Amino acid sequence: MKRRTFVGAAAALPTVGILCGTARAQSKEIRMIESGGASGESIEKGYIEPLFKKTGIKVVRESPSSLGKLRALVESGQTTTTLFELGSGTILQAKKLGLIEKVDWAAVDPAPMFPEAKNEYGFGYQYFSTIMAWRKGAKEPKNFAEFFDTKAFPGKRTLPDYPWYCLPFACQAGGVPIDKLFPLDVDLAFKKLNEIKKDVAVWWKAGAQPPQLMKDNEVQYAICWSGRVVGDPAFGLTFNGGKADLSFIAIVKGSSPDNKAAAYKLFHEMSLPENQAKAAEVISYTGPSPDLDALLPKDKLWQFPTSKQNKEVQYFENAEWWADNGEAVNKKWEAFATPVALFVCSIRRLRHWSGAVPRAEPAHGHAQRTAGVSPAHTLFHPESIPAARSHERAGRPRSSEHEQARHGLPRRRRPRSGRH
Amino acid sequence: MRGNGFGFIAPLLVLMLVAFNAPIVYMLGLAFWEKGRGFTTEHYEGLFEAPVYLRVLGNTMRISLIATVANIAIGYPLAHWMRGLGDRARMIAIALVVLPFWVSILVRTYAWIVVLGNGGLVNRGLMWLGVTDAPVSFLYNELGVTIGMANVLLPFLVLPLFAAMIRIDDRLLQAAASLGASPRTIFWKIYFPLTLPALAAGALLVFILCLGFYVTPAVLGGGRVPMISNLLDTLINQIPRWEQASAISTLLLIVTLVIFAAYRRLDRKASS
Repeated sequence: MKRRTFVGAAAALPTVGILCGTARAQSKEIRMIESGGASGESIEKGYIEPLFKKTGIKVVRESPSSLGKLRALVESGQTTTTLFELGSGTILQAKKLGLIEKVDWAAVDPAPMFPEAKNEYGFGYQYFSTIMAWRKGAKEPKNFAEFFDTKAFPGKRTLPDYPWYCLPFACQAGGVPIDKLFPLDVDLAFKKLNEIKKDVAVWWKAGAQPPQLMKDNEVQYAICWSGRVVGDPAFGLTFNGGKADLSFIAIVKGSSPDNKAAAYKLFHEMSLPENQAKAAEVISYTGPSPDLDALLPKDKLWQFPTSKQNKEVQYFENAEWWADNGEAVNKKWEAFATPVALFVCSIRRLRHWSGAVPRAEPAHGHAQRTAGVSPAHTLFHPESIPAARSHERAGRPRSSEHEQARHGLPRRRRPRSGRH
Repeated sequence: MRGNGFGFIAPLLVLMLVAFNAPIVYMLGLAFWEKGRGFTTEHYEGLFEAPVYLRVLGNTMRISLIATVANIAIGYPLAHWMRGLGDRARMIAIALVVLPFWVSILVRTYAWIVVLGNGGLVNRGLMWLGVTDAPVSFLYNELGVTIGMANVLLPFLVLPLFAAMIRIDDRLLQAAASLGASPRTIFWKIYFPLTLPALAAGALLVFILCLGFYVTPAVLGGGRVPMISNLLDTLINQIPRWEQASAISTLLLIVTLVIFAAYRRLDRKASS
């Protein structure tokens, strides 16, 4: 009897899943894995809620979205998750590994959107910036030359632990204007990075790190994602010289046609400027509609990666250049970096330009979107520290054997040294 | 069913086999068998071609060793001191040593940021005392990682060591004293040799646990303290090159098993 109950209870768990599954027969519910945090909430409020109101389709969110997870999904033949968030670099890689499906843009029937966001393999849904910021009270730099000048602007820095972020900023510090960054002067970049190296306290991996480090006064200056610092009175910042990027939502390989149809409906919602404005209320990143600016609050325009005054002062990544030169740069970064970056990068070298997944914010200013290079192919975001995945084993001390040990006196003296 | 009760544990064994051992075998196989390509040793070759993997492994061993030595330096005197306490005080001391087991490792690790940060308790204390003018960098380097790891692992050393020390008969020490041995001689000739097997076993246990540390280097290392688990995380979650990760895991497993075999020997010695 008891056993029955137990079996019943165990069976109930998957049943929950199956119940959800029954709804999916008509694709009334699809699943999405996104990068989490405020970015995920912006998807919920901006796109998922309007979709549900209009069509009754539910989108269930999970996070975080690492490329490894996507590979696991596809290789296990699991097709319950339809949508997956990727960075502008990771989407290239996912495409190469055959992990995502082409988007049928005719079925999406999107409202007008910027061309680089309309990727063959994904919906570029969120522009974000990587900029310089500082703790209030620190002497305020105006550009990267000043940011890299640790004599005139004393204080510790935190920089991203990835060369494709650091190098272009370092070039700016060496006097290269943003419209002439590419082809990148790698030697100059490393020269400047070597100058600043001793003042970099932390090379961050997760977007949450830089603001916290500045709040804790561990560092006074940071290169970080704009959405993490704008609107916080504890920080000063400028978009000057910053980098804009774009985050994508892609469709997992092997998704059923029904689920894909539901996903396209969500994509359509995501293309509407009024929905993008709702999402921008949650996080100060912007969607790909050219008509969005008019809908954003005037007093907050300065916070957005794509507003006019900001996009003019930022640069756009040159993906073609990185594709051609990434490997060579990586080798130099290995030599430059201390061990961790060293291993990260040499692994990257193996897989060409791989990327990690955006943590809560991705975006790209449409600044130079008219240029010949495809701005969609910019680089990406490191995944956050997956801190909860502890490998540390919390075993208990093995005391039983000691307890069992006999209590009697050791009869023999045991001079370990062998001397008397 | 036979009388030895094998039938009762058989389901558990099957569960272990299916849920625990099978995935490990699959994981180990990944490095040899690539989908659509068949058998390959390419990933093991990659292990030796890219010196960075071995360097990270070497660095992991080095940091583990430092953390283990730090643990011994703190743990041995602590266990010895606990031995000399009265019953009630000893209970309290043991409770204090064991207490961290009930606190999440993540919480404990982040707590060190509060304690050791530039504006943290220690630095504020040091500056107030005038020991230093500028904050000392405890965090985001190997020092921080070592402190964090030593903290987490201290009970693993102290408890077995304490168990061994408490078994030492006081009469042995008294007998030595009555024969005219100085306290120092008593310690080195009698007390220490009796605790040595437990110390070695505990130290090896700590060392093995160090090898698999992930959270502490990730949080307290500032991206500059490479440990093998962090490398594996990158390979598994971000790249994702599971085949390479599998090869490295296998190497780590072998190293760990060798050390574990040594631990078993010492542990048996310690308890006999």
